[in-house]
Amino acid sequence: MLTDAVVNGITAGSVYALVAVGMTIIFGVLRAINFAHGEFYMLGTFGAWWGIETLDLPYIVSIPLALIIVAAIALAVGVLVMKRLIDQPFQIGIVATLGVSLVLQNVIILIFGGAYKMFDGGWIEPVEILGISLSEQRILIVVAALVIFGLLELMVHRTRFGKTIRAVSQNIEACKVVGVNVPVVVIGTFVLGCTLAALSGVLTAPVTVSLYGGMGTSITVKTFAIIVMGGVGNVSGTLFAAWILGLMESFVASYLGLQFRDAVAFTALIVVLTLLPGGLFSKRERF
Amino acid sequence: MSPDPLAALSIRGIEKRFGSIVAVAGVSVDIKLGEICGLTGPNGSGKSTLFDCCTGLQKPSTGRVYAQGLDITGWDMHRIVREARVIRSFQKAVVFRALSVEENLVLCGQMIAFQGMASTFGVGPASRHRVRRLREQAGHLLELVGLSHMRHATAGQISFGQQKLLQFASMLMPEPQVILLDEPMAGVNPILIDRMMENINRANQEQGITFVVVEHNLDAMKALCHRLLVLSRGELIADGTPDAVVRDPAVVEAYLAG
Amino acid sequence: MAMTGVNVHGSYIYANPRHGLRAAGFAVLVIALAAAPLVAGDYQLHALIVSMTFLLPALGLNLILGYAGMLSFAQMAFFGIGAYSSALTAMRWGTPFWLNLVVGGLAAGIVAVPLGIPALRLRRYSFVMCTLGFAVIAQTIAKNWISVTRGDLGLSQVPRPRIALWNGGFEITSITSYYYLALVLSVLAVLAFLTLVSSAAGRYMIAIREDETLAASVGTPTWHYRMIAFALSAVFAGVGGSFYVHYFTVISPTVFDPFYANTVLVIVLGGGVGTVGGVVLGSFLFVAVSEALRIAPDLRMIAYGLLLIVIVFACPEGLLPLFIRKIRFGGGTHVP
Ligand SMILES: Nc1ncnc2c1ncn2[C@@H]1O[C@H](COP(=O)(O)OP(=O)(O)OP(=O)(O)O)[C@@H](O)[C@H]1O
Ligand SMILES: [Mg+2]
Repeated sequence: MLTDAVVNGITAGSVYALVAVGMTIIFGVLRAINFAHGEFYMLGTFGAWWGIETLDLPYIVSIPLALIIVAAIALAVGVLVMKRLIDQPFQIGIVATLGVSLVLQNVIILIFGGAYKMFDGGWIEPVEILGISLSEQRILIVVAALVIFGLLELMVHRTRFGKTIRAVSQNIEACKVVGVNVPVVVIGTFVLGCTLAALSGVLTAPVTVSLYGGMGTSITVKTFAIIVMGGVGNVSGTLFAAWILGLMESFVASYLGLQFRDAVAFTALIVVLTLLPGGLFSKRERF
Repeated sequence: MSPDPLAALSIRGIEKRFGSIVAVAGVSVDIKLGEICGLTGPNGSGKSTLFDCCTGLQKPSTGRVYAQGLDITGWDMHRIVREARVIRSFQKAVVFRALSVEENLVLCGQMIAFQGMASTFGVGPASRHRVRRLREQAGHLLELVGLSHMRHATAGQISFGQQKLLQFASMLMPEPQVILLDEPMAGVNPILIDRMMENINRANQEQGITFVVVEHNLDAMKALCHRLLVLSRGELIADGTPDAVVRDPAVVEAYLAG
Repeated sequence: MAMTGVNVHGSYIYANPRHGLRAAGFAVLVIALAAAPLVAGDYQLHALIVSMTFLLPALGLNLILGYAGMLSFAQMAFFGIGAYSSALTAMRWGTPFWLNLVVGGLAAGIVAVPLGIPALRLRRYSFVMCTLGFAVIAQTIAKNWISVTRGDLGLSQVPRPRIALWNGGFEITSITSYYYLALVLSVLAVLAFLTLVSSAAGRYMIAIREDETLAASVGTPTWHYRMIAFALSAVFAGVGGSFYVHYFTVISPTVFDPFYANTVLVIVLGGGVGTVGGVVLGSFLFVAVSEALRIAPDLRMIAYGLLLIVIVFACPEGLLPLFIRKIRFGGGTHVP
């Protein structure tokens, strides 16, 4: 039971980490929290499911298909909505992205119906590693999370785009003065962040199996908890915070009961907000 | 050095650090009751931060502040206004922009008219009477500062200079003993500057209100102040009559270096 | 300045010559609503009742967001607390309706205080997320405290309102009598709200919304008034929840679903935040109309979503100004 809890916790944590890191970089450049973030996770899952069910594609092909679809939707949302949030008061961002989330979620329900669907794909064969039996898909999720976080760290510190993101996060006014095209950076970051959320959804679907239009909401709220715990804008902090949340949830689910799992994130959120306003890994207040 | 119980403000060894930045580096000074005291210094010399520490917006890292002998260090802002009768203005936030000019004044007078928190929920005849009195008082003040014609205008929509006059009038509403003004004349046209100085002088003479005025405009300071203090890099480098202070070589150097 | 007689309409906060007009508008609306059962069918009346149950939490949100300047997602948590506590009291002790309303409002207000202590230290996003957290935790408790709430099943057969009178009183069962009960309650709530925001305390709350530091500098104990606004917004929501539960006679943890919270947000922002007329307009426009047209929930949510996006960018003052030019309460220039 203990090893199961740990394995589940790390897997779930890696899933959350991929979603949350997208939110945290978006927050960095835009100073707006994205209430629609979980919807992009949901869209990723639905994209792959649609590829498999309707187009009869193999899972491996439906992954890039889902990512392309989501990136296109994110681009549209970025151009229509997110770009306008630059320099707006924070409530505007909350309300606008909440609107986006309602639209995306219910359009999916309208198209595909509100019932649960089964996701049939992925590599769910169990393998034995160090005496622990776990499915290949879980290994894939954890490895993917580690690789992507490595790439993100590299991108943020080495590439031009990454440096621009950091510059905009630190001082948007100065960036405008020196001629950085802030809207392009914002849209680019938004598409990147949403695509990461979608990737997380695609990779998780074989493990969680069921999918439905409203599944993004709880992901969004867990993401809030993670970025608060990790410290906003802190990429590696996000990974650790996500693992911590995944582990806490998994322990609560195994030892207290599944029904309490979804309250863990918020209890953690409230505790961290009130006791450690800078998150677990920093003393500085970032919100 | 013990505080002077007769001083409007006794500032004792106030120091304020933000991480490694020392914004105020140990300032001790007494502001006498009834004086108009200027405070000047280069940008970033810690003038606003000193005000913040005296009015509860910031807690000083070390040092204490007394208002007529009463230790107000670490008090909340609203308590300092209410109980020590020390009120201050801000450089940027000037008025409540969505409220009308008159409402701005009424709001500022509420702390006197409605003492207890429970009384602020009343809407009966007694409260209405109090508000009517505040409106009358507001009317007088608006006349004094020359804004009566815009009493129902939205405060955010009048000119910046007029907003500063409104801010000044609002600060008189609660009948304070000490007023700290942070750059009341910055960004104000010359005609309104004269009106502002006139109003400061009148409030000082007629109501005996003590003023500390932060201002970069040295001509205005010379005309207005009885005494001038100069801060440089958080330290008090000069204290005396305006004429003497502006000739002080240390002050000249601070400005050239700053 | 001559005071108009109707100070419940905020005349002595925002004294202006339009108050007579506003009072007249309010009176016309109340008379029209009172006459509605003559022409409306049962389903339309039901739609109006539902919109009036949403009016209360919406007024609460309007208080905390439009007047004190804090965006709270806890409104539906307080609505649920009001509903559950009122239902449980009535089921256990057979208490009269008015007492249940008081219990619902008080329970929500009392719970709000300890929640407000940590939450009100937070600003901006942190406050928003923290209040969202309260809603999630409230739902978890409602689902899992089975001995009291019966979990996902929820409570059913909640007693209908009993109005005690000299002759023993009567039970409200017909849709028309419910309608009038809701109308009376709504009018009282609107009057209470107007009284509150036109008091000196209301002026302090607006000051806090405009600029908290500036408000403190003129002697406003900002923390206290933020707490009062938070608790009173919970009371409004709790009373709303109480009425809701005795009308529908069932309650389950789904009241904490985002659907309801979003509806309240749409009412307040769509109607006109920081105004009273806007919230009234919002609840009729968005709830009564969509209920009466029997628009499917998913379509309604898409419409709400688009509406939120359009409103924040195109008319941040809500739809009220489009309906009646420039009728403002809280100096509604403030963006949500
Ligand atoms: N909240 C803060 N955090 C960090 N540093 C601060 C803070 N407030 C002020 N400082 C720093 O403290 C120093 C003094 O600032 P202050 O605003 O008191 O100067 P000032 O004399 O009022 O300048 P000005 O004439 O421009 O208004 C500056 O270096 C400023 O950058
Ligand atoms: Mg300054």
